[in-house]
Amino acid sequence: MSNYNKVTDEVVKKLVAICGDEYVTTSEPLRHSYMAKGIMGLEAVVPEVVIRPANAEEVSRVLVVANENLTPVTPAAGGLSGGFALPAIEPGGILMDMTRMEGLEVDTENRVMIVEPGLKSGDAWRIFKTKYPEWAPPIPDGAPPAATVLGDAIERGFSLVTGVYGPQADMIMGMEIVLPTGEIFHTGSWALPGAKPFYRWGVGPNPDGLFLGSQGSMGIITKCAIKMVPHPHHKTVVAYGGETWDDIIKPAWEISRYEMGISERTVMVQGGNYELVMTRWPKTNVPLDYEFYKKIGIEKKWMNYECWAHTKEELDYTLKKIDDVYKDYEAKEKRHTPQQDLHPKQVASRLKKPNKIAIPYSLWQAGFLFITWYCPWLESSKMMEEYCAKMEEYGFPPTMWVASIDHARQAIVMPILCYDSTEPGILDKIREFNLETTRSFLKQGWLNYRPDPFVHAPETFSKAKEYYKMLVKFRKVLDPNLILHPGRLAIPWETVTDLPSPFEE
Amino acid sequence: MVTLDELRKINARCIHCRACQYAYSGEPDKEGETEEYTGMLQGCPAGIYYGWEGYFNSGKQWMARAFLNDELPASRELLEVAEACTTCGMCETQCPNYIDTVHVTEALRAAVIESGVEPLDKHKGFGTRVRDPEMKNPYAEPFTERTKWYSGDVDNKDVKVAYFVGCTGAYRQQHVADHTASILKKLGFDFTVMSEEVCCGSPLLRTGQRDVFREVMERNLEVFKDFDLLVYSCAGCYKTFRNDYPTMSGKPLPFKVKHTVDLVYELLQEGKLKINKDYAEKVTWHDPCHSIRHVGLAIKKEILENSKNWLLDERAAKKAEAEYYEMPREVLRAIPGIELREMYRIKGDSFCCGAGGGVKAQFSDMAMATAKERMKEAASTGADVIMTSCPFCITNFSDAVKALKQQEEETGKDLSDVGSKMKVVELLEVLDQLIE
Repeated sequence: MSNYNKVTDEVVKKLVAICGDEYVTTSEPLRHSYMAKGIMGLEAVVPEVVIRPANAEEVSRVLVVANENLTPVTPAAGGLSGGFALPAIEPGGILMDMTRMEGLEVDTENRVMIVEPGLKSGDAWRIFKTKYPEWAPPIPDGAPPAATVLGDAIERGFSLVTGVYGPQADMIMGMEIVLPTGEIFHTGSWALPGAKPFYRWGVGPNPDGLFLGSQGSMGIITKCAIKMVPHPHHKTVVAYGGETWDDIIKPAWEISRYEMGISERTVMVQGGNYELVMTRWPKTNVPLDYEFYKKIGIEKKWMNYECWAHTKEELDYTLKKIDDVYKDYEAKEKRHTPQQDLHPKQVASRLKKPNKIAIPYSLWQAGFLFITWYCPWLESSKMMEEYCAKMEEYGFPPTMWVASIDHARQAIVMPILCYDSTEPGILDKIREFNLETTRSFLKQGWLNYRPDPFVHAPETFSKAKEYYKMLVKFRKVLDPNLILHPGRLAIPWETVTDLPSPFEE
Repeated sequence: MVTLDELRKINARCIHCRACQYAYSGEPDKEGETEEYTGMLQGCPAGIYYGWEGYFNSGKQWMARAFLNDELPASRELLEVAEACTTCGMCETQCPNYIDTVHVTEALRAAVIESGVEPLDKHKGFGTRVRDPEMKNPYAEPFTERTKWYSGDVDNKDVKVAYFVGCTGAYRQQHVADHTASILKKLGFDFTVMSEEVCCGSPLLRTGQRDVFREVMERNLEVFKDFDLLVYSCAGCYKTFRNDYPTMSGKPLPFKVKHTVDLVYELLQEGKLKINKDYAEKVTWHDPCHSIRHVGLAIKKEILENSKNWLLDERAAKKAEAEYYEMPREVLRAIPGIELREMYRIKGDSFCCGAGGGVKAQFSDMAMATAKERMKEAASTGADVIMTSCPFCITNFSDAVKALKQQEEETGKDLSDVGSKMKVVELLEVLDQLIE
């Protein structure tokens, strides 16, 4: 297993010397207060010490200390929805709470904003609302106000314009990174002292991809320049229903492929099934029969289209074209996909950013987990069929959400596993479910986007062996002692799995 | 009783989304008058003051879970973090999973103490004094002098209405008790005060001392059992009777309860009362957490508890809550000449004064910092008066104004933009002056 050392009093003294007494704690209750099991991950180990650094220099000095002592480090701020990064394996080491670093600079001329890790969506939205109302910060959609812009970006998460611009990470223009060994460097054009972050590929070749999606295991991003987007104020949401997943997936594909046309104004395409509504309420205090949902106008499946346009004419044109696509689909496929009658309050609620839409699924019982997968858009129906059947087989309601990424080039498919977290053995059951579906999906070429270190990562890398070997090489160059968030990418391999290592032939 | 173990499933709903840290967490586009007060705003007094996750409700929920799962032992350190919370309930307003955040925090405090950890020093003093038969109040005043302030009818069991004065009214803010009694007389209530009244138990329940709380609750229920209606001037006593006695005793109250402001509101609504005298002041209203937010939340949750279909009934529940928050505003609007200037964080999203939950006594620095933050918000409205109806809000705001004035003297700086010149006024005092 791992060769990490526990945090000693000597290490704590060094951390205090760097961050100040006020920003270092070994308090047992405070260390427990950072825990989170649910929504984005079930694996979490209590850190041995929590620190709140003020800047990249402090981060760098802490990493030097961590290397000297072989102490694992996990950087975290607000994450991309509920929960945030936490140590995955023992010993928990240093949890770096980045929330003090919450700077924001806005450059409307070059249309980028520079954010520090602690800048929360709620604060970013407030600042833009008051100072830059013609622009929108690319905050995670459906995440609560404490989720961070950077947390979403580095996880390649879902933003409010993902339907057009792709995953949040695609909007990054440059980063300030503290390497695990303590060096601070910049990517993109930012690498040139004095240059603005105007060109992502910079002095080239660009290493961004190593740090985005590595879940904090390759380096700590202390600043990132990210595109901000226009915020036209002609906005609405329309929704269309259907009986099957294809009824919502196929028309959405037709709409989304109108690039340089209506799909540029269709910033968000997301849908689900009626269980997505039902499981937002206590299981014991809401009708379980579809007939009730039918009566209140909820189709078995539906897709929402959130449209932003600079003029009413553009918006109306977009809505008309969307409607035309549905009419063509109905005629051609002989299906019934009616437009849903949305109350103005429903429209307003769906346009609200940031929002708490993704949060209430704990009411169903007492806990829930998002498991997120990417697949080619037109294959998402098959994935959702399979997922829902398996959820029911395991006794979970088949709550399912799907959204388009980059004009429906990819789908993000997300089952919401609603469960009772106080039920003995429930985590083992979820793990079994996760393993079974993961093995099946990997065979079909689908990928988990935020891999669970104990299930998705080892299962995926057991198949993508050459990629894993390359990843380990990079990791060892950047982080020779493997101190950063170990386990997250199944590195070191043996800390998270008993499967044969990809290095074994 | 509501024990931490009984709240296990409620606590287990927390997925650490931290929406609870923000006032208006569901209203990103809420318009404000200034850049500082617009959209979502941090709203947890303890979290803002201390910064560590454990001081926010979101962290406390996970400490409670670790404690429940035997991963975190009872300790003084745990109690200190758990007690550094005003139990204002701002977090509870925000939680989309309907977690009873304040119940969990209070139950965690109680569970830690019941595991053998001594209550924190100042809190322990509350318990000792309330239990002392010579006092029965947290202020160490003689029990025999509890009704000394009152020259009217004491212990009259022939009337159906009793005024539950509370310890602060009886010993520290007798003028508020006087004004309340005067209002009740003017409104035509035939009422009495009871010499056997003891502390309502609020400071004990909040700080986790449930044994003593249970004793005083049972005593008060016995003393007042034959009345039809109990009236209050203290927000804390009112909330404790209205919300906590039924939960903690497991039985409905044998009498109705109303805060005096509610009584005035009802009479105004029924057209039985009209205020004719002017109060020509620019006023901002501070919602006391106990008598406004906690009651509003309880109204909402009571509707949902009886609902078989939350999806349909949630809107009605939220509407009832919102209507309750209008109540003090309706009273203020009925006062001629008053100019009401609302603060940004109000009603369910109101920012606490900083005194509640045992914080004023044990964590006075945090209480002061929180009161100053609220005074700054009050001053931003341009009002000259910050009005409320709670003895603890009044005390803490008054202390903040005193501190600001002292700061002005020491530095020579004008701090009126953060509230140094504001008057802190109890609504009941004004109503007594205006009602004829």
